[in-house]
Amino acid sequence: MSFLNPFMLFGAGAIAVPIIIHLLNRRRFQRVVWAAMRFVKVSTEKNQRRMLVEDMILLAIRCLMLALLALAVARPAMRSTTHNVFGQSKVTAVIVLDNSASMGVSDGVQTRFDKARKIAEQAVDALPSGSAAAVILASDVAKEVIKEPTHDLNLARKAVREAPLSDRPTDLFPSIEKALETLKGRSAIRKEVYLITDGQLAGWRQLGDIQKTLKTAKEQTGEQQVSSHIVLISDHEERNLGVSGLVLSSGLAPLNRPLRFEAQVANYGKLEAKDIKVALLVDGAAADEVTIPSIPPGGTRSVPLNTRLKTEGWHSITARIGGDRFPGDDTRTLAVRAIREIRVLVVDGEPGTEPRESETFFLDHALVPVSPEEAEQYYVKTSTIGPADMGGTRFDDFDTVVLANVPDFSTDTATALENFVKRGGGLFLFPGAKINAAFYNQQLGTTRKLLPATFGEPRGDAAQEDKFLTFQTKGYDHPIVALWNDATAGTLASARFFRTFELNLLSVPTADAGEKAGKRESGKGGSPTNSLANLAAPKAILRFSDGSIAMAERALGLGRVVMFASTADTAWNDLPVRPAFVPLLHRTLGTLIQRHDEGANVRVGAQFARRLTADLLHKEAVVMAPGAASNTRDLRRVELVNDTPVLTYEATDKAGIYEISIAEPATVLKFAAQPDPSESSMAELPAEEVTSLGQVAAVQRWNPTLNLREWVEKARVGAEFWLPILLAVLALAALETFLAQYFSRAK
Amino acid sequence: MDAATLATLLDPVAISRAETLGMHARYLVEGYMAGEHKSPYHGFAIEFAQHREYAPGDDLRYLDWKVLGRTDRYYIKQFEQETNYVAHILLDGSESMKYGSGGYTKLAYGKMLAACLSYLILHQRDAVALDIFDTETREYLPRSNSHAMIHKVLATLAAFEPARQTNIAAILHEMARQVRRRGIVVIISDLFDDEEKIMEGIQHLRFGGSEVVVFHLMDPAELEFKFNGLVEFVGLEAIPNILTRPQEIRASYQSEVERFRSTLRSGCEKNHVHFVPVNTAQPLHEVLSGYLAFRLKTSIK
Repeated sequence: MSFLNPFMLFGAGAIAVPIIIHLLNRRRFQRVVWAAMRFVKVSTEKNQRRMLVEDMILLAIRCLMLALLALAVARPAMRSTTHNVFGQSKVTAVIVLDNSASMGVSDGVQTRFDKARKIAEQAVDALPSGSAAAVILASDVAKEVIKEPTHDLNLARKAVREAPLSDRPTDLFPSIEKALETLKGRSAIRKEVYLITDGQLAGWRQLGDIQKTLKTAKEQTGEQQVSSHIVLISDHEERNLGVSGLVLSSGLAPLNRPLRFEAQVANYGKLEAKDIKVALLVDGAAADEVTIPSIPPGGTRSVPLNTRLKTEGWHSITARIGGDRFPGDDTRTLAVRAIREIRVLVVDGEPGTEPRESETFFLDHALVPVSPEEAEQYYVKTSTIGPADMGGTRFDDFDTVVLANVPDFSTDTATALENFVKRGGGLFLFPGAKINAAFYNQQLGTTRKLLPATFGEPRGDAAQEDKFLTFQTKGYDHPIVALWNDATAGTLASARFFRTFELNLLSVPTADAGEKAGKRESGKGGSPTNSLANLAAPKAILRFSDGSIAMAERALGLGRVVMFASTADTAWNDLPVRPAFVPLLHRTLGTLIQRHDEGANVRVGAQFARRLTADLLHKEAVVMAPGAASNTRDLRRVELVNDTPVLTYEATDKAGIYEISIAEPATVLKFAAQPDPSESSMAELPAEEVTSLGQVAAVQRWNPTLNLREWVEKARVGAEFWLPILLAVLALAALETFLAQYFSRAK
Repeated sequence: MDAATLATLLDPVAISRAETLGMHARYLVEGYMAGEHKSPYHGFAIEFAQHREYAPGDDLRYLDWKVLGRTDRYYIKQFEQETNYVAHILLDGSESMKYGSGGYTKLAYGKMLAACLSYLILHQRDAVALDIFDTETREYLPRSNSHAMIHKVLATLAAFEPARQTNIAAILHEMARQVRRRGIVVIISDLFDDEEKIMEGIQHLRFGGSEVVVFHLMDPAELEFKFNGLVEFVGLEAIPNILTRPQEIRASYQSEVERFRSTLRSGCEKNHVHFVPVNTAQPLHEVLSGYLAFRLKTSIK
């Protein structure tokens, strides 16, 4: 119990008033000289006791009335937390405003975020004067708009009012942790956290930790105690459709060729959705449209969308469905670079006597899978040379070099290859019976760090047909083979491998550490060094059914190297005659070509990092975010990271296409950020969880008449009792009047 | 004796009305000289009463010679003696009589009543004795029917100032012993004393054969007790001060007063005593003429 106007309690001294009046009245009487005393005496004696009791009752009522009146004016309140004698004390508050994508759900008039901002503003308004407030925008990361609690509440109000909505997913725990951390060192009598969020279940996935943290904070004593207020802005959205995925099915985006995109549309609602039009937009212009007849609740449908890119360079490809209450997931954009042609240099290590015996026979045909007449128009151009010609070839004339069963080559050639890769070229390596494994391991692997793995001992016997390995049948993680996760795309597992090289991934110490650090810091963007090191680390693309590595890749400089465990022809396996060979080869080629386009499509909130050529070092890059006004552009400088010029951009809060331009030499890059599909789920925190949350924080659901100030003040001081007390005073006053009349009536 | 005192004590209206009614003795009174009132003594007098046979020893002066001459029998003529009476006016002069809420205190009213009665009685040549008392007789004027008596009475009444409390009963007993002849005893008092003892005193007086008239004086405030607020009653007699809220005990007070008066009334009635309750707010002439008319009516009967 405490009092908002404790000084008014001194008013309780007023109970002396009726007593004093009573005593004074006893002195202020009429004196009557009286003869008939005996009658007065007898009557008085008869009534003495009754009158005394009546007097006492009246006196007690009057005293009680005044005491209660003083109590009411003192505004007593039941306070759950800190006792504070001197009224409302200053509060140090952290306002955690959820600005994740789901806050963009609109009720037709205003979005959840609009409501949240108003509530947050109310929270600032409700702070007693002299309070301080910090503002954190919560999505999957805690973005501290006002890091240190400021006494300038106008600033806090402005920060809240101008807070931007992001397209990030929600995870409230980091923000709550950050808020408590902010309050931790502060010296303030009263500390409060205001969390204004939608009740989206995804945001509460660490509910246990959140509860534990809030509970700990609540149960602290003295200055360390933090009381939490949670406002849940939920409007029970029943329907939501979202584009949950968009991928370029063919790994490459050649100019004027039909490109197939797979758009995945998910129904996150509780009702079946019908006749969903999915449109494909290229640079904002409609290119294709498909209608999905229906999607059951919770189901997803993939639709193919086709288009051609007419110009070279970067394009934004957007899949869009009809608008609903949550516009954040109705579009999904990819940044795709259209290429005119791909020049591939194939080095045939074992030409044989006739074309069919050539090591690269299948390879050539698979790379250009069209009739000789059409080969001219085909975007893949191959040139085949022997190992002897390697020394005299300018690798830079090609986009990718394929080495098939090449025994070894000169150190100069090795250096030239290394430089080629570092400048952005692709290298595809097929072993065979003739290769000098020790040379590869030594020259390209250990010394030049060109290979993702070293060759181990060859396994199996190519001559027999009953002992073989196959590719893994499921769990394709790497983008190159992710296509085969979908059973309709055919299968990789039909190919049989009779003889293979054992591939041992090369470990890169720094990259390894970086990978771990990257994992730990996932969701926070990570440092450029770590994320790039992570990208550069050798990794397996595809494994055999026994778990050994079938394909591995690594990045080096701007280029990439892919290594295969078996031959490019049918000498050791039958992959080249399997249907999966062409797509596998083309997707690998796409990866190799678009090595420097890698990272062009990032998740919202993830850091974009691009290695650039040396001439762009220290140049200013202008980044234009999607939906941003033309005058709000970010400037970034190309910095040197691990000896490579790198441009990073971390403020990828909005989904869509980002355009980066560098003035000199004129360069335009694009990348796209895609929202996290988890944010599209409208599932809400179950009522029982809300109830349990209520044990560690004051939880209030948003409603149009919610008066946060009143609620917070009540929670801050508990419930106020002045009204019932006042009513009691009135009742007592009425009783007093009645009794006084009744008692003093002539008897 | 100045005219002012006379005017105060002798209410001309009361006297003019009362004169016509007169203060007659209701019972036989033993006067010491011929007067208007029937005396218990028979013998020589003006009014013939009856004949009686002569008995040896009778005074031959009263032998009816005419009867002897006609009938040869000896009859003695008997006459009723008409005599005057002595009215003992007992005025309570205790402190409680000092109270008066309106125009007159009870004492002033009592003095007026005593003066008027005295004048009336003296005027019809009866004798008056005045006794002003509290615990004991304070002023006493022995009986007299001289015209000068009224002046003495008025002077005594005017000069009297109360000082002590009442002891009526003792005075009544004392009076009963003193009154040798049967006369009228008029008690003017508020009778604020033990009603049992008062009744005993009255009984004593009645036993002596005197007619007793009680004028019970009460102030209207004492009857109605219309006080409000907090009042301290300062006792005129021995009872200490009382602080109370009179309106809350009014009913109780009034019933006490009523009980007191009814006790007195019934006690008086039992002893054939006229009990005249007087509210001092009433004009004296109303009270006096009212009582005298009532008295006349009962006397004729």
